[in-house]
Amino acid sequence: MSLRVLNPNAEVLNKSAALHMNINAAKGLQDVLKTNLGPKGTIKMLVGGAGDIKLTKDGNTLLKEMQIQNPTAIMIARTAVAQDDTSGDGTTSTVLFIGELMKQSERCIDEGTHPRFLVDGFDVAKRATLEFLEKFKTSVVMGDEPDREILKMIARTTLRTKLYEGLADQLTDIVVNAVLCIRKPDEPIDLFMVEIMHMRHKFDVDTRLVEGLVLDHGSRHPDMKRRAENCYILTCNVSLEYEKSEINAGFFYSNAEQREKMVAAERRQVDERVKRIIELKNKVCAGNDKNFVVINQKGIDPPSLDLLARAGIIGLRRAKRRNMERLVLACGGEAVDSVDDLTEDCLGWAGLVYEHTLGEEKYTFIENVKNPRSCTILIKGPNDHTIAQIKDAVRDGLRSVKNTVEDEAVVLGAGAFEVAAKKHLIDNVKKTVKGRAQLGVEAFADALLVIPKTLAENSGLDTQDVIVALQNEHDRGLVVGLNHHSGEPIDPQMEGIFDNYSVKRQIINSGPIIASQLLLVDEVIRAGRNMRKPT
Amino acid sequence: MREPVTVQVGGFANYVGSHFWNFQDELLGLADDPDADPVFKNDALDMDVLYRSGETHQGIPTYCPRLVSVGSRGSLGSLSSSGNLGQTSASADQLNVATWQSGSVTRSVSKPHGRNLFLQSLVEEGQNPSTSNGASNSQKSVEDKDLIDCLENNVNFWTDYSKVQYHPQSLYELHGSWTDFDKFDNYGSAQEVVSDWSQIEEMNERLRFFVEECDHIQGIQFIVDDSGGFSSVAAQFLENIADDYTNTPVLLYCVRDPMTLGSSRRNQRESIMRALHDAVSFSKLSSFCNLMVPIGPPSLSRSYMSSYLYIQDEKPFHASAVCAAAIHSITVPFRLQRTGPSSDLAHSSGNLDIGELLHILSDQGQQNMVTALDVAMPAPSLTDRDAMGNIEMKLHSLTPEISDEDEDPYSVESLVVHGALDKGGQRTSISQVKDSVCSVYEARETKPKFSHLTASLCPLPVPLPFPSIFRGNIGRHGEILSDHAEESQPKGSLDIESIPMAARLRSSSAVLPFIERRSGSLQKHGVARGAIGSLVLRDWGFGREEVEDMAEHLAKLLGPFHPAMDLTLDSD
Ligand SMILES: Nc1ncnc2c1ncn2[C@@H]1O[C@H](COP(=O)(O)OP(=O)(O)OP(=O)(O)O)[C@@H](O)[C@H]1O
Ligand SMILES: [Mg+2]
Repeated sequence: MSLRVLNPNAEVLNKSAALHMNINAAKGLQDVLKTNLGPKGTIKMLVGGAGDIKLTKDGNTLLKEMQIQNPTAIMIARTAVAQDDTSGDGTTSTVLFIGELMKQSERCIDEGTHPRFLVDGFDVAKRATLEFLEKFKTSVVMGDEPDREILKMIARTTLRTKLYEGLADQLTDIVVNAVLCIRKPDEPIDLFMVEIMHMRHKFDVDTRLVEGLVLDHGSRHPDMKRRAENCYILTCNVSLEYEKSEINAGFFYSNAEQREKMVAAERRQVDERVKRIIELKNKVCAGNDKNFVVINQKGIDPPSLDLLARAGIIGLRRAKRRNMERLVLACGGEAVDSVDDLTEDCLGWAGLVYEHTLGEEKYTFIENVKNPRSCTILIKGPNDHTIAQIKDAVRDGLRSVKNTVEDEAVVLGAGAFEVAAKKHLIDNVKKTVKGRAQLGVEAFADALLVIPKTLAENSGLDTQDVIVALQNEHDRGLVVGLNHHSGEPIDPQMEGIFDNYSVKRQIINSGPIIASQLLLVDEVIRAGRNMRKPT
Repeated sequence: MREPVTVQVGGFANYVGSHFWNFQDELLGLADDPDADPVFKNDALDMDVLYRSGETHQGIPTYCPRLVSVGSRGSLGSLSSSGNLGQTSASADQLNVATWQSGSVTRSVSKPHGRNLFLQSLVEEGQNPSTSNGASNSQKSVEDKDLIDCLENNVNFWTDYSKVQYHPQSLYELHGSWTDFDKFDNYGSAQEVVSDWSQIEEMNERLRFFVEECDHIQGIQFIVDDSGGFSSVAAQFLENIADDYTNTPVLLYCVRDPMTLGSSRRNQRESIMRALHDAVSFSKLSSFCNLMVPIGPPSLSRSYMSSYLYIQDEKPFHASAVCAAAIHSITVPFRLQRTGPSSDLAHSSGNLDIGELLHILSDQGQQNMVTALDVAMPAPSLTDRDAMGNIEMKLHSLTPEISDEDEDPYSVESLVVHGALDKGGQRTSISQVKDSVCSVYEARETKPKFSHLTASLCPLPVPLPFPSIFRGNIGRHGEILSDHAEESQPKGSLDIESIPMAARLRSSSAVLPFIERRSGSLQKHGVARGAIGSLVLRDWGFGREEVEDMAEHLAKLLGPFHPAMDLTLDSD
């Protein structure tokens, strides 16, 4: 990444000052995020100037909330956020790892090592660690019937780092089922097909999975049913409102009568479209007790609503664009752009459609669908900030399940991987490197330990005791991580603590890239006021 | 009912919007007030088209603007982004988090923005409304004076002078994580923000909330601060609107704080960036709306208006008030009762909906979509048949960089006159307004191809938090006083109740220089071989091809004028 000078007032720092500035920035950012990590991290409540609250326990949200101005810190933050964009997790670990790589390097540099050697060592260590990860990972076979247990374990691990256990466990099944619902064999999983909806509710914190869809609006006609069973669903994008079309926008009516005529002609066209829909309804619902629901992306004006209501049809207007796709996946049928060739095949199906009202807010539930390929996670919470935080957690949970299905592998968590990889680097890799680059390998290996160390620290444990205990077990050939209650070594496999393979891979990959760039800096563009500390 | 939905994007746009909604709020109050001038009753303006009725979670009825306002994080001052309909975030003081084990919560609290005197008084008034009018009137006006002084001396946010209740869906704060909103001064500075898909989606959702409620949306009026990065945010938003609401007309006002156009000297690079910003922003914004109205003369204090108004350019609170008044006037026709062409109402005539207005101005004659906004604030008394009464001569343009000459026989315009007074300070009847405007137009040398007139008896109300910008020669009802004592103190809402207004949208060759300048800058700095600006454009994320497309679009906007220009020359 090259920093281009845009600001003519920028000063240039000399090399050593620049290097130290980078190290300090990385350390500063690490300090801010450190307390976030793991199931014992702290949640942060940010209160804005007008009393708005934001709750966050994940690195990604926190980084985005922070007013970072230091260019180095921004660079690190971008890398970490990019981590979240691609794999949905591991932002905090990324920032900690980069910070630690810089810290370890600082020690060597202060003792006279040229950054070049460190960077060379990083490179070797990184490749070796990635190879080691291939061996270390636990493969999971997905096939047609994925292993639900492993998916639940990974979802639970992730969710428990964001929500207290009870709530996390409630969500575990929900996110696993949601992903399995939308998954199509041999296709990438499109998480957009899981709609995340929320409702504000005085006291409850509750979440449920709706196999089907929840829309945040209701019908706009008093005579339409608020609840209907056995429903045909017509998903369409057809204007059912009177609007002046370009051609007869003839504005200068010579008299009122002419104007009326224009309006009437235009109205007839709209009515015609409504009638087509009613015809289809009459055809498919004749002689049975089935119902008919129209969900339209465009508008439906009151006269059209009247016609629909009189024909016993429920009509919703201005549905979200993305819901058109979801509806078809949930209910079947197809989304139509015109009512010209309507047939029964266009229609989807739902066993139950009903409206739920909360103050002025209305929700329409479309449930009991046949073969849902889209679903909704409905979150209830007492206030916006709680809802927002649960939403973030749900997204993380969904990503972790999706990653697992796509990676067909997971990695033992609770620091087990980091301790094992460190041992591998020190025992096997370091000696293959000549000269001072060894220092780079060693720095890299030590930096990996920042994860178990921070997990221990956040649990209020003695970091050194924990690390020694873990390393001892690993020396005895046991792969262990730390129990965040007692600090004792545990078998993550037994406890079901797993991390995503792709997330780990990306942390190992991107950390040293950024660290190397920061170490090899020749000069730093110092843009006047941008030099504030990252907090 | 045909509802317009309003969108405001960016700093100055929200300043303007804040005044605009204050006018509406004032009209609502006056319609209910038994002591108010009857012109404010009579259902003169249908407020339901701009407002929605709803209720809070507690079941309290609400009446809020159909509005989506987008600003930068922190620009709401002491107003919470969830609006001000009760629902206070009392939980801010408690460390109790429903989602995480207690004990592991840290709290970081930004310095709270205190409410100024004016906002405090609103809160108090809301708590005990009985004391707000009635008994201790004399004591109260002293207080009011303090409130006005407080606003004159220190408005830091557009919310500081807003007396309107906003719906929780209305206020959206953009968070560009590492975008410095203090330096959000060119089209490229918004790249981070607009590439964040979730934020754009959130803006779309907010708008959809208000559109879904409309039985028949008449259009979207969109106010953007186009002086910097918000242009890019708005362009993205407008593009989505064009996709989602295909046949819904969009009327776009581009507003600028006079200070952002400041005359401060720039180096060459900066002026090229400025020129490119103007060109790119104009090209992008104009491609996603049906009619565009650029507003923002370099300085209001030195403009014609200075004989009636005393405007301090350095206060966005001042300049935005004038823009808002003009926009209010333009929206009057959208909310008049619909009548046939022959049957006039006593209090208004000439309703138009947004679609019809756009159709008149841009589809007729020249197919030009860039119009100038002219305003007379206050409008002169119309019954004077001398130069004083020539409304044409009192209308002055708020649109920058346009030509003074307007002899375009193809021009099309829409004029709104509301609350006009006669020489004696009495309200002019609708037919008098019509007659006098007609006679003025009859006397004009080059007549416009088409001109539409809307007239209403209802003047612009002056709400308490309106800035003190009127000179001593303006009377209580906005009449121009010929014999007034030279007062040094500008007058404000305590001295002046209402103002007669005239405003006009004009589609004519006068806007040619405005377009030419932008088209020229893009050609010279962006497209031409080796242009210095091409690097800047690349930095802003534009590829070569996209730059050429923008240039082509600008050329197309110039197209309509070429045949017309020839004719103008001929007729000279
Ligand atoms: N029950 C547990 N006991 C010990 N360690 C755990 C446990 N659950 C998760 N961890 C560890 O916590 C770390 C993940 O923490 P966390 O999710 O807070 O941060 P992150 O994934 O790096 O960043 P973020 O989620 O903020 O993007 C992993 O190293 C994981 O192995
Ligand atoms: Mg995580």
